[in-house]
Amino acid sequence: MSEDDSEKHYRSSLPGFLGTIDTVISRIESVMLAAGVLLMATNTMANVLSRFILGSSIYFSEEINRILIVLITFAGIGYAARHGRHIRMSAFYDMLPTGGRRALMIVITLFTSVIMFFLCYYSILYVIDLYGKGRVLPALSIPIFLIYLWVPIGFLVTGIQYLLTAIKNMRSRDVYLSTEIVDGYKDTEKEV
Amino acid sequence: AEWKYAHEEYEGDVQDVFAYAFKEYVEENSDHTVTVYRFGELGESDDIMEQTQNGILQFVNQSPGFTGSLIPEAQIFFIPYLLPTDEETVIEFFDESKAINEMFPELYAEQGLELLSMYPEGEMVITLDEQVSSPEELEGKKIRTMTNPLLAETYRAFGATPTPLPWGEVYGGLQTGTIDGQENPIFWIESGELYEVSPHLLYTGHGWFTTAMMANQDFYEGLSDEDKELVQDATDAAYDHTIEHIQGLAEESLEKIKEDSDEVTVTRLDEEQIEAFRERAPQVEDEFLEMTGEKGEELLEQFKADLEAVTED
Amino acid sequence: MTTIIIGTMIGLLLLGFPMMIPLITAAAIGFYMTFNGFDNMGTLVQQMMAGIRPTSLIAVPMFILAADIMTRGQSASRLINMVMAFIGHIKGGLAVSTATSCTLFGAVSGSTQATVVAVGSALRPRLLKAGYSDPFTLALIINSSDIAFLIPPSIGMIIYGVVSGTSIGELFIAGIGPGLLILLLFSIYCVIYAIFAKVPTEPKSSWGERLSAIRQALWPLGFPVLIVGGIYGGIFSPTEAAAACVMYALILEFGVFRSLSAPDIYAIAKSTGLITAVVFILVAAGNGFSWIISFAQIPQAILEAVGVNQAGPTGVLIILSIAFFIACMFVDPIVVILVLTPIFTPAIEATGLDPVLVGILITLQVAIGSATPPFGCDIFTAIAIFKRPYMEVIRGTPPFVLLLVLAAALLITFPQIALFLRDLAYA
Ligand code: NA
Ligand code: NA
Repeated sequence: MSEDDSEKHYRSSLPGFLGTIDTVISRIESVMLAAGVLLMATNTMANVLSRFILGSSIYFSEEINRILIVLITFAGIGYAARHGRHIRMSAFYDMLPTGGRRALMIVITLFTSVIMFFLCYYSILYVIDLYGKGRVLPALSIPIFLIYLWVPIGFLVTGIQYLLTAIKNMRSRDVYLSTEIVDGYKDTEKEV
Repeated sequence: AEWKYAHEEYEGDVQDVFAYAFKEYVEENSDHTVTVYRFGELGESDDIMEQTQNGILQFVNQSPGFTGSLIPEAQIFFIPYLLPTDEETVIEFFDESKAINEMFPELYAEQGLELLSMYPEGEMVITLDEQVSSPEELEGKKIRTMTNPLLAETYRAFGATPTPLPWGEVYGGLQTGTIDGQENPIFWIESGELYEVSPHLLYTGHGWFTTAMMANQDFYEGLSDEDKELVQDATDAAYDHTIEHIQGLAEESLEKIKEDSDEVTVTRLDEEQIEAFRERAPQVEDEFLEMTGEKGEELLEQFKADLEAVTED
Repeated sequence: MTTIIIGTMIGLLLLGFPMMIPLITAAAIGFYMTFNGFDNMGTLVQQMMAGIRPTSLIAVPMFILAADIMTRGQSASRLINMVMAFIGHIKGGLAVSTATSCTLFGAVSGSTQATVVAVGSALRPRLLKAGYSDPFTLALIINSSDIAFLIPPSIGMIIYGVVSGTSIGELFIAGIGPGLLILLLFSIYCVIYAIFAKVPTEPKSSWGERLSAIRQALWPLGFPVLIVGGIYGGIFSPTEAAAACVMYALILEFGVFRSLSAPDIYAIAKSTGLITAVVFILVAAGNGFSWIISFAQIPQAILEAVGVNQAGPTGVLIILSIAFFIACMFVDPIVVILVLTPIFTPAIEATGLDPVLVGILITLQVAIGSATPPFGCDIFTAIAIFKRPYMEVIRGTPPFVLLLVLAAALLITFPQIALFLRDLAYA
């Protein structure tokens, strides 16, 4: 199954109700990614057109893009974890035999999920701190903590994905890069 | 102890001069040391402010204009023609103004900050692609401003088209014509060599780039009386040193610019020409009041009273 | 503390952790050691957010989106066909065409990988059929695609511009000279190789065919005009030029060529969003990392230890080149730029080097390092895309790497190669 296919037909490997939620989250992430990018393009272009046609820049255009960057990044890291798409240096790892790779992959995914939960916790504290300070976006007057609400959720979802991958590797004979993607050359493709 | 102090400017700029004068005084008169961090080393303006509020840094220098997202009233410095136009009166204003010396410390205290000093860095000068002396001639010019709604409103009021652009793109933008002009204190125009690509200088007298130096309040309250006095004295010493530094700095920078380029023209508006710009200021005041409500109104009135006091005598 | 932070980072990187993890872990350890606990960890989050705040970063997803639309549509193949019609028939013409197509496609795409996919996938079968060996073909594709990193637009330059506060517009134009220099060096090598390997020449196209190929490529040739003309003609900022490219790509592929249909845009936008997120989380983590090393004043300590302060401008350029070159042999270019640029910033400022020249040199080192065995990440891209064994992929690279090192030496000796066009555009 190609990556595009695995993304298109993503079905959570979690059982029952949890699986349904996970599948729904995955759909939401992919819609946010696509919509975020298209809105960003539209917003940036509208600003150029406005300057040429109406003779004035849209003064909140930059702030919209700032919101969209956060949205895309934190919807995307969970999605990338789900599909094994985070960039990694796999040279030493690739030299190991399957058993060694699986053991290393369990360590990697467990540790990664711990770091993600750690960041989730501190980003919640950070959002609360921002809420207390009452800082706002200057042009839109939106409280800044609102635009970062997605951050802890993004870390949480990513952490869960890596945790699930660790569990999957513990229970399986193959090596999994994510809950869906079995390790192999065809799946280590990376685009930047 | 080791104190950490961050500001928003580069080496040798006014805030850096202030910070180093403060550091020197502290280190000469006590066992404390001060580490100074310049622009970008610990993040942008809002970042270092938050870090100071959280006690990671002890001192910070942030221009009230940038403080707008935290203390909206601080944007009052962006209202055109609210400060005197000549240097001597401005300095007197900062020494004596009740708004600056009594009302602002309260606003900062609400955010956990001990306001130690407010000081002017320099008059805002507009640089343009051609000579301009009236709002009519400014019509449709794309002027780069910092991303701040009130500043944008000022340039809209003046007839221009405010255009946000990151600082790194300003020089190139002026050269290629993505923007037709920008505003900055003269010493930045000199050090950034902006006059090479935007040679027509316009002194409208509409504003002074003002900045503020403060400490984390918990840190300050926790100091011994002796150390509090040290901090106050160091601040006063730095203030005096900086005021001395900026006097003549404007002249010096302008001289260097003129020496370096034959293309440069300098337009200083006379009282009548200034009036044409000043007439448009109320629009910005309204915007300010809309953003800040009652507190802003009170501050604005005090500002005007202070201004009257220093211009009368 | 310096040793622990740097050691942790390198160790985790080499073990194959997702690249955000070494950066975040090293930063977290730095915070813990500096503040004796995790109390100030909120600042790590703050600085990660600050990393993705600059609006110039918007150019990254915009250029990726434009390139993706063109690769899935017809623009890329039309450009390749035009190059082939003109130089396909000369000795080594197919190889020279590959390098040239990479350069030309590089002028519309910001990334090496997109260029490998667009040009490499299309031309590799023809190169093999014509009698070029597979190691030569793979090395040619990998290294030529790196030219795309130097020719504007370039994601590496955007990230460097954001991290160092350098004008992205100036970086873009300064990359053209070195990009073309490398194309020239590669082309000479291709011709020599073809003569020695006795590769037969391709049939020559008629002028009729050439005219038709030009006409086909006319629309896609609008991209470089839009980017270079738009930025230097004072119409767009680099970010806006990127958005304009997206609009233009949409109009071409959906309107003029009708090669794509509405549902495609969802898939393309999603794929762009995914690549963007993967890059931006690194930018975020990199900024968090650079905050703590800056707070602890580690760059100053490292530079002192390396003796940069006594090195003088050329010395700094050489030290910097070696550092970036070596780092890129192991780690993704974006991460290298994020980590090393803040470390070298004090030295660059102290020596008064032109930050644009430094940026171009860094971009060039990134290109060399990522194509250099054993671990250059381009090699793994090629393994993944072309499904060839490691040894076969690296066997042909040494001559290309040597030519790239030669280009770097020329650039250090004659900075005007990069700065000439910049000074012309901004004079
Ligand atoms: Na490119
Ligand atoms: Na930074």
